[in-house]
Amino acid sequence: MTPSRLLARQSLAGLMRDRSVLILVAFFAAMVMVTAWLGWSATNTVNAIYADAAQYLAGAGQPVPSNPVGQSAPLAVLRNLGVYISLIGTFGAIVIGQLLIEADRRAGTLPLLGTRPFARRDYALGKMRALGVATGAMMAVAGLISVATLFTIPSLVVRSADLARLGLFLILGWAYITTFGLVALGAAARMPATASGLISASVVWLVVTFVLPELTANIHPTASINPVSTLAATPDSAFFRVTSTLLGPVSLSEAFAWLSGDLLSFLPDGLAPRGPVPPLVTLPLALLLAFLFALRSAAKLDLTAGGPDA
Amino acid sequence: MPNILPSIRGSVMTIALRDAREQLRDRFLFWATLALVVASTASLVTGAIALHSDAATYAAARDQLLALGKDAAAIAAPEFYPLKLMRGMIEQVEIMGAVIALVAGYRAAAAERGRQTLALILTRPLPHWAYRLAKIIGGMGLAAVSLGIVIIATAILLPVVSGIGLGTDDALRLALTWAAGVFYLTVLFTLGFGLSLWARSPASGLIAAFALWILVVLVAPQIGDTMDPDNQVAGGVFAQLSVPKAEQDRIKAGFAGYETFRNGIEVASVTKHFERFTFAILGIKDTYTGAPVDKVLAEKRGDLLFLFLFSLGLGGLVLLRPINPDRLTKES
Repeated sequence: MTPSRLLARQSLAGLMRDRSVLILVAFFAAMVMVTAWLGWSATNTVNAIYADAAQYLAGAGQPVPSNPVGQSAPLAVLRNLGVYISLIGTFGAIVIGQLLIEADRRAGTLPLLGTRPFARRDYALGKMRALGVATGAMMAVAGLISVATLFTIPSLVVRSADLARLGLFLILGWAYITTFGLVALGAAARMPATASGLISASVVWLVVTFVLPELTANIHPTASINPVSTLAATPDSAFFRVTSTLLGPVSLSEAFAWLSGDLLSFLPDGLAPRGPVPPLVTLPLALLLAFLFALRSAAKLDLTAGGPDA
Repeated sequence: MPNILPSIRGSVMTIALRDAREQLRDRFLFWATLALVVASTASLVTGAIALHSDAATYAAARDQLLALGKDAAAIAAPEFYPLKLMRGMIEQVEIMGAVIALVAGYRAAAAERGRQTLALILTRPLPHWAYRLAKIIGGMGLAAVSLGIVIIATAILLPVVSGIGLGTDDALRLALTWAAGVFYLTVLFTLGFGLSLWARSPASGLIAAFALWILVVLVAPQIGDTMDPDNQVAGGVFAQLSVPKAEQDRIKAGFAGYETFRNGIEVASVTKHFERFTFAILGIKDTYTGAPVDKVLAEKRGDLLFLFLFSLGLGGLVLLRPINPDRLTKES
């Protein structure tokens, strides 16, 4: 067994014993369970409102417009899944990322690890491998629950192509949350004070989720966590054209929301992604940059420091 | 014999002021306030730019109609109320402000546990509840100063970006927003402080506080927002279907059970009460735009009362729960 694999196994065993992590994963799983019901219930209500309104308009001799929802694609009922992945999933990844470093530091095991015959790079790779497996497990849980709920909702016809799209969406969700987990891991390695990695990665996540969408498209914070409201066109003004071009490629939450809409079939017709770079490029690129940051930070970690009073 | 022991009130104020001095010394207050000011002014400016863009679109459409000899009344003129531009600021306080308050609460507990000064303070002739009260008062002061700066900064910027000055009525509405905001942020501070004080380690308390923040501040209002039929369609489902208001009300009445359930999820969150009160007092919600302050206060008394009672209840819980003697240090 390679040193990085051994370290990853040891780290994963530690994570599975941590109550905070288990509670967060359970919370995430519970929200994934209600996602399909939320989408199904809201769509049903709009359809019922439409039927009522159409009856009135026809009776009044007025033209009856087409149903504005028109979401026949079964995956559209999972439209809240992207929001919960970007909120709870990302926070879970941040907690895991910082715990992977901080647990060793607080337990005083860093100096012990430093005496072992392996390179610091192995330590960094082991921690990142553990993070990738943990976030992968979270996405696997989300996938299993989503598929199970899709098949239990009556009147939904799920095809294999839908499952393939869901699979691709979950892979991109994994990339999205792992990016923030790697930022937390790298920040925790660089900043020895308790919870510094957690706080700094959370600040990055908050700016990406709640500030950048305002600058690129005037999307307020509460709208940015609504799967439908966040998919708004860039306002027709020179300012927003410039800001969306400049900030669009780093506005990761908007990129993920656009991909969610596209893959889960609820993207408004003709809505272009924010900025000139396609989200399918920006998300993997962000993951790569976060990987390099975490690798460099964890490989330079001071293995002589640590202990409960560090 | 003269009373050489300090009074409880004096001790409480000493600890609260010491906390305030510490927050000033290590610049936490500075950076927290700056972050909130930047996020709030960004919201204000982008909102104003979007509004100017709407006004320009209206003016172009109106000119085109007039040039064709048609009546300009065929298109609705955009209505402009400067305080409506505060929507982004309120939402930033709701979300970013809440995180800052949680972290401030965590720091108030973690600093004492990390430096082992908590055990030292508790050797003094001071009831434990008085110590916790002092910390909450310190946090409330921090929220009051920080939010006051944010509101003053945005109020100064508002006439610049909107071109309309603010009157005394507007100042009163902003003062009420500030008061509600101080209660709201104190709730979050108390949550972060209490959990970081009780948890096995302060960092575990912070993680639990963050998880509750996600649930209370983001997820509960988000579920209610997502279930709103008007949020399923861009521009609103009734607007898209061009159904008159009376007919809208009739149709909505048929979904009373659904609406009660949706509203129930929303009002379970203290954030939603803060939002509903401030959106009404600032006229951000259309039904309250231009309404007199006393009318809004009468109708939104319930939200304000919930904010007050919730902060009182949570504060009481933190005051009543004793400090575990095994958890006085950073790692227990």
